[in-house]
Amino acid sequence: MNDETFLHERVEVIAIFGQGHHPCRPLKFRRASGREINISELGLHHPFGQGRKTLHIFDVTDGGADYRLEFDSEQLVWHLTMEADHYERI
Amino acid sequence: MSEFNHERPLIMHIDLNSCFATVEQQARPMLRGRPVAIVNRRSEHTAIVTASYEARAKGVKVGMRFKEAKALCPDIVALESDPSKYRYVYHRLLDIMNDYSAHVTMKSIDEGVIDFHDSPAAISGRDLEDIGREIKQRLKDEIGIWMRCNIGIATNRFLAKTAAGLHKPDGMDIITPENLRQVLATLELTDLTGIAKHNERRLNSVGIFTPIEFLDADVMALQKVVFKSVVGRWWYERLRGFEVDDVVSDVKRVGRQYVLESFDLTHDQIAKRLHHLCESVGSRMRSQNRAARGIYVYAKTLQRQYWHVSSLSILPFYSDQTIYAQARRLFDQAPGDLKEIGIHCYELEAIEDDQLSLFNDQIVHERQVTGAIDDINKRYGERTIHSANTLGTGIYVSQKIPFGSTRYL
Repeated sequence: MNDETFLHERVEVIAIFGQGHHPCRPLKFRRASGREINISELGLHHPFGQGRKTLHIFDVTDGGADYRLEFDSEQLVWHLTMEADHYERI
Repeated sequence: MSEFNHERPLIMHIDLNSCFATVEQQARPMLRGRPVAIVNRRSEHTAIVTASYEARAKGVKVGMRFKEAKALCPDIVALESDPSKYRYVYHRLLDIMNDYSAHVTMKSIDEGVIDFHDSPAAISGRDLEDIGREIKQRLKDEIGIWMRCNIGIATNRFLAKTAAGLHKPDGMDIITPENLRQVLATLELTDLTGIAKHNERRLNSVGIFTPIEFLDADVMALQKVVFKSVVGRWWYERLRGFEVDDVVSDVKRVGRQYVLESFDLTHDQIAKRLHHLCESVGSRMRSQNRAARGIYVYAKTLQRQYWHVSSLSILPFYSDQTIYAQARRLFDQAPGDLKEIGIHCYELEAIEDDQLSLFNDQIVHERQVTGAIDDINKRYGERTIHSANTLGTGIYVSQKIPFGSTRYL
């Protein structure tokens, strides 16, 4: 349908925990390949309940592709779960 | 009563139009300004649930098949719906609305009403347009810069909703007795919420073809001839800005439907999907502490025929096991060539304590097992425990966008 890739890749993330309506903002992440991605915009952050566990989902972009990062608030780990670059037609 | 309601307009209708597409464009900045369609399934034959304004501008409509949309708008992007995002935005919108009044009613996942009648402190000398602009800005600040909403202000819910639909997207309008005729003159009968084809035909049959003619119609004619009930009077009052829609409806039924992912499934394969629906309905019903006495199973065939059957029990039931046992018994009478299946539980009543069941080991056992399963699913996530019969159905019958009722959001 689209050029979306769904994955579950452990990534390293640099994030700021500050104030305001969006207190956590991921700034940059490093993929398993070593590639580093600078986040230019946080699109949407929303929590996702898995039973009593909460995953924090961050839809972000680097200006060239959209990515979905998931922060597991119980394990304190980040995963890259989706990347989409040019949204091809079905 | 021929006068209009001249009180201060204190009802605000807020509508996140093209909500799901807008939320996706908020989440995925690369899609902003591009035609986007939200679909429930990844196929060309899937129907469009919501289209972005860019897609609508090219003629794409809700309900249209994606294939048709692609013909109209070749660069359209289809995204599978992501209900958790929309639920999040719903709750943020509700939080914002609750800051202004204790009388907030969400009409669906993407629209709600604020009644400012008992909120003098929230208004404190401001006009509602000013508050409307503040709400629009808060949506951008608290959710994201791409979020937009339509706001309508009037003396009743009906006219406030009408006002919210006048200038999409991102509009804000007030309907007052002074501009009511001017606004109605720009609309068709079917633009009015509650007037679809059937009611339009009723009105046409007595020579009413426009909202202005509807407004000018005699109350007795509406009551005795057109609607043949008190509904005619309600319309007369509604059009004049008097509140007739401030009613809270109780849950009357709980149900789910499913369009089959493939039309060559065997009866048993379809029954498994029905079983999945029963588990979903049972869980929803118990979350509202409700048991049912009635069950209604229906199906649509490829030949567009509608089949349905129902049964009513003496004793209330609520476990997934019982719901499916009854539904399966009814479903075994279903015809072939099915395209869609659905189930409703009705005659709902509160689940009673164990007291009456103490003498019946089987009922107590069922209650305990159901309670334990619900506890585990609440703790570890939906469908952590479910029937072995529905293993593998989850990838097809996953929970989609809950339109209509907001009880389960």
